[in-house]
Amino acid sequence: MGTEPNGLGPGRLALRRLRRNRSALAFGVLFMVIVALCVAAPIWSHHFAHIGPTAGDNLSQVTVDGKKKDVVSPDGVPIGPTWQGRYFLGAADGNGKDLAVRLLYGGRNSLLIGVGAALITTVVALILGILAGFLRGAVDGVISRMMDIVWAFPVILLGIALGTAFALGGVNLGVLTIGQDSKWVPILIIAIVYVPYMGRPIRGQVLGLREREFVEAARAQGMRPLRLMFSEILPNLSSTVIVFFPLMVANAILLEAALGFVGVGVRPPEPSWGTLIGVGVERIQTGPHLAIVPGVMLVLAVLGLNVFGDGVRDAFDPRSTIREER
Amino acid sequence: MRGIGRALAVTGVAGALSAGVIACGSGTDSSSSGGGGKKTGGSIRIGSVLPDKYDPTQNQTIQAYQANQTVYTPLTTFKHVQGKGGATIIPGLAEALPKVSNGGKTYKLKLRSGLKYSDGSPVKASDFENTIKRLVVTGGPFSSFVNPIVGVDKLKSCKDDVKGIVTDDKTGDITINLSQADTKFPFAISETWTAPTPADKSPCKGQENPPPPGYGAYTWKIQNPSRQFTLTKNTDFNLPGIPKGNVAKMTVVKSSVEKMTQDVETGKLDFMTEDPTGDQLPEVRRRYKDRISLAPTPPNIYYFFLNVTVPPFNKIEARKAVNYAIDSRALQRIFSGRLDPTCNFIPKNVIGHKDGSCPYGDAAGAGDIAMARKLVKQSGTAGQTVTMWTNSKSPRPDIGEYMRTLLKKIGYKAKLKTLDQQVYFDQVGQKRNKAQIGFTDWFMDFPHPSDLLEPSVAGAALESSPTFNTSFVNDATLNKKIDDLVKQDPEKVADQYADLDKYIVQDKAYLAPYGTEQSTSFFSERMNAKECAGVHPVYKNDFLQFCLKK
Repeated sequence: MGTEPNGLGPGRLALRRLRRNRSALAFGVLFMVIVALCVAAPIWSHHFAHIGPTAGDNLSQVTVDGKKKDVVSPDGVPIGPTWQGRYFLGAADGNGKDLAVRLLYGGRNSLLIGVGAALITTVVALILGILAGFLRGAVDGVISRMMDIVWAFPVILLGIALGTAFALGGVNLGVLTIGQDSKWVPILIIAIVYVPYMGRPIRGQVLGLREREFVEAARAQGMRPLRLMFSEILPNLSSTVIVFFPLMVANAILLEAALGFVGVGVRPPEPSWGTLIGVGVERIQTGPHLAIVPGVMLVLAVLGLNVFGDGVRDAFDPRSTIREER
Repeated sequence: MRGIGRALAVTGVAGALSAGVIACGSGTDSSSSGGGGKKTGGSIRIGSVLPDKYDPTQNQTIQAYQANQTVYTPLTTFKHVQGKGGATIIPGLAEALPKVSNGGKTYKLKLRSGLKYSDGSPVKASDFENTIKRLVVTGGPFSSFVNPIVGVDKLKSCKDDVKGIVTDDKTGDITINLSQADTKFPFAISETWTAPTPADKSPCKGQENPPPPGYGAYTWKIQNPSRQFTLTKNTDFNLPGIPKGNVAKMTVVKSSVEKMTQDVETGKLDFMTEDPTGDQLPEVRRRYKDRISLAPTPPNIYYFFLNVTVPPFNKIEARKAVNYAIDSRALQRIFSGRLDPTCNFIPKNVIGHKDGSCPYGDAAGAGDIAMARKLVKQSGTAGQTVTMWTNSKSPRPDIGEYMRTLLKKIGYKAKLKTLDQQVYFDQVGQKRNKAQIGFTDWFMDFPHPSDLLEPSVAGAALESSPTFNTSFVNDATLNKKIDDLVKQDPEKVADQYADLDKYIVQDKAYLAPYGTEQSTSFFSERMNAKECAGVHPVYKNDFLQFCLKK
């Protein structure tokens, strides 16, 4: 019935479908451009702005159109966009830091935390989901209830609560000690709160997979449960993981922004898009760009990831295939 | 204990302001409208974050104090005038100022006759003792100020007798005996947390809604403790020297700072108890010059503590280096222009403050980075890691970031630690946390220098944990001097307090002061902001002086 070429594996088929989804690809490219810009932050910082992300001098002046201008006025208003290398987008705060530089470095932090948290979430969710779905019984009961407990709290509230708790003394779990200023704190918080959102669907899928013929056949051949889980079940979860991962990254970036906005994300003086928006909101009347610019970057990055993620889902989801192939 | 330097968590702040500062603030802030004459009567609406508590023995915020000073009159009180005179103590419910004898240990007062609380019950001398019992037994935030009264330390319940207070309801006589002379005590009995309230309606617990009746120019009704209350003029109020209030009714409503700023701009509110924040302030100052004024009320000091018990600030050269390096112009920008630079610890308009040449260069000028680097090298601490502590309340993260950058400039590896403001002072005040340098401030409870020195640099303050002596100073010379001076009339030993200031900042560099914050008074168009702003050294804004334009 369909027009799928014969002889192609599911992965190649999915890629083929993804290539046909131009809007998803366009947004994927948009996201990659943002990533490239953020990765290139040191180039802008060193060669154009000549100022670091945490450095600032609110007493300095810059020459704009031949006139000297205060970077921060005596009543504390930061300079607006100058359309030059330094203070291209203006000063970010009362300390005279460069907004463009902090925007790019902030993006690095937001992306690093988003990707880092999504990776941890994926690994933990896979382990828990496979264990719960494959072993069932008491193991499933304990893991599912733990995920229910985490799921019972609104993500942002739980993130803020954990962020506030860890902001004071960091994470100290005996063997694991993380300082309060470490970026691992927001990474771990975000990773923890999103585990059920990925872990439960994986568990559900594993419950179905464990009853499939190929698993029965492997079991009949005497394969041990651990090997069954990792050599038979895990590979069959790859499409789920591929679909979930970009969406997880997008959600993690958003949550990081929310935590940064309320002051429990990335610790100062390190920037992130969320902290930049938080600082910008305080000056929304005299410098709306201070909040709008990082806000736009955040929206574009998350939008890019979400649309691309949707495209990936459509490419890997058979029902989506049918819809597209008609 | 109280105040602990948190700007909005401080009550009863007294200090003498220079009339010039109050009237003018600065060149750009002065009221320039014609004033419009004073109107008696009318209703106004005030925006506020509202009092923390309504029972006068329990609250500790300036928002509470501004309102309840109109409802509760203490035995003595502060003069209701703008300027330096506002810190003058005058008789309140007492006929006259206390007669002090026995080497400053006995205070004798006599209640005025015929006074009645707002509920109609007579004002009795024994009500004062009941108030002191409530304050102490319920652990009111200002209870430590009455500790010198004999017997207060043994008070376990409100049924116990306070030996140091003898009252006679028939004659109205009140005698207070202190265990040792304490010149802060006259200020303590001028604060609303010692104001008598009827004993039979003031149980031995916090009485929030309705709060205990009082005797004042206004009575209050709490419609919703977290939403709104009203102050209505008390037509029976009549005490010599205390104004009866101009406005007939004041409705105080809860609002956010941003919203109340907009509402005062548009006239939906007539006054706001808070300061416009962020970039709203420059905008308001630009557009409503005749409706806003700035003044350093209550007297306050912003400074960096330098922990003398841990490296690198256990070396005096390192401490002096920080003092040399500070550039108040940069900090002024962080405060949106509301910082008055200073190199003194005792704030301006407090007894003992003495303007003079600053040991570390012009307080309002550039820092001496070269000298600071030289001193850091001399101290042998260059290259050490120093963590600057600050908290999350704006603009304190920026202040912390400023100091972190400065520490890097003068030769340290600097880090920044930003804690939530709710836990910050608890953390830096604990010795085990070894906070090396950090943000702190102090808003004066009253214009007595010991109100600042005892908690912040005296060794005795280290007995409590957390302590506000965050520099962890325990200097025998300093301790003895503070103990000696508090027993003497502060006005007479003002020069010695000034010497102590020099000793703390210049000789020992135990801390690094950098400025005084100016607070704002922002009114609607219909208010008479020129003549009735009521900028007051104790009450910040004295509601009794508010009036509408004619």
